[in-house]
Amino acid sequence: MGTGISMDVETMATFPVSKPVPPRAAMRVTGKPESRENSVDRAAHGDVEAFEELYRENVSRVYLLCLRMCGDQSLAEELAQEAFIRAWQKLGSFRGDSAFSTWLHRVTVNVVLGDRRSTARREARIKPAGDDLPVDQSASEPFPGQALDLERSIAALPEGARKIFVLHDVEGYRHKEIARLIGVAEGTSKAQLHRARKLLRKALAS
Amino acid sequence: MSCHEWTNRIDDFLDGRLEAAEAEGLQVHIAGCPSCADEVASIRELRDLAAALPRSLEPPRDLWPGIEARVSATKVVRGRFGSRAVLAAAAAVVIVSSVVTAYFIGRSQAVMVTVEPPSVVESGPSEVLLASFEGLGVNNYLDTRTELLDALDARKHELSGETMEVVMDNLLLIDQAMDRIAEALGEDPENDFLMKQLAGAYRRQIDLLQRAVRMPAEV
Ligand SMILES: [Zn+2]
Repeated sequence: MGTGISMDVETMATFPVSKPVPPRAAMRVTGKPESRENSVDRAAHGDVEAFEELYRENVSRVYLLCLRMCGDQSLAEELAQEAFIRAWQKLGSFRGDSAFSTWLHRVTVNVVLGDRRSTARREARIKPAGDDLPVDQSASEPFPGQALDLERSIAALPEGARKIFVLHDVEGYRHKEIARLIGVAEGTSKAQLHRARKLLRKALAS
Repeated sequence: MSCHEWTNRIDDFLDGRLEAAEAEGLQVHIAGCPSCADEVASIRELRDLAAALPRSLEPPRDLWPGIEARVSATKVVRGRFGSRAVLAAAAAVVIVSSVVTAYFIGRSQAVMVTVEPPSVVESGPSEVLLASFEGLGVNNYLDTRTELLDALDARKHELSGETMEVVMDNLLLIDQAMDRIAEALGEDPENDFLMKQLAGAYRRQIDLLQRAVRMPAEV
């Protein structure tokens, strides 16, 4: 995503956003409301155990979001860790007017979008010396669920198209918001989504 | 309207972004055009599949230990260090990125810049600078920066004095560049090029701080 000006990426997590997070982007909260509120509050005051509770409740959603957006298992692990660390650092700015999980989702998206490693990492793996086997032959299947073909095809998309597809079609973000998050024009976001959908349909049809 | 022109509107149609009249026009068209009807059906199917994907997956290993280690390290520190001093400012933005990048990418080949020691400017960033950031959609520049500085502060005992010095020097250079740009923007507020320069300087500054915050412990 080398084009455009992406100065918003880092600041979005604390931005007063113009509209609530789209419904599908909101992660469902599993814990009891009181206990969760309590652990958010305690974590904000430096209670690491309380933060671990928040981690346990949310890690599977954070991890899968990272994995889909970056398409690389070990990078996804690092990014998920980074997201929690960032959340810890920013807990003071969490105002509680949205669910913690919704706020954490946004922090995670920002961490993934702010990361520059995806492309380099993937390229390094795609070109093992003198070996033309497809990527990940040896690795275990990283994705859950039934729609494996779709998951694998998403992972194989070019980086820009993949991130925008995941944000728009999986997470339910709107182009306007994606454009602002990534720092590209809305038209670019639309064009990338179009490209992603086209490539995916082609991949799934073959 | 030709088939091709309708095809270009199918994404907008499916994402609910077409005006009512246009949406109706497209519906009329696809009723009589199997190719466009296929296109709509196929994108719709993909979109529904995507929306129905699972939303959670346990990571293959427990990520908590790595988080805990870093979280515990930053637990107590909430103080500032030199955040006012480094809000000081004046220099060339172009060299900054290459210096910073060179430093972090290959520390052996790092190009050290000599800068004058930061002069403490108590007044903080100028009105023009803050207004320009608002123009860029960055409304909480100072908060973001302060948060990152706090995070760096929390790590200062893990990083070598040399590293901290380079980070602070580069921060100062970027600050200075920003002030220069803000000064120019004061004369020519609509200047697109200057706004881009400012956005670039901002991005580099945040990037610099992030990299520093993420650097592996040295001490
Ligand atoms: Zn047609």
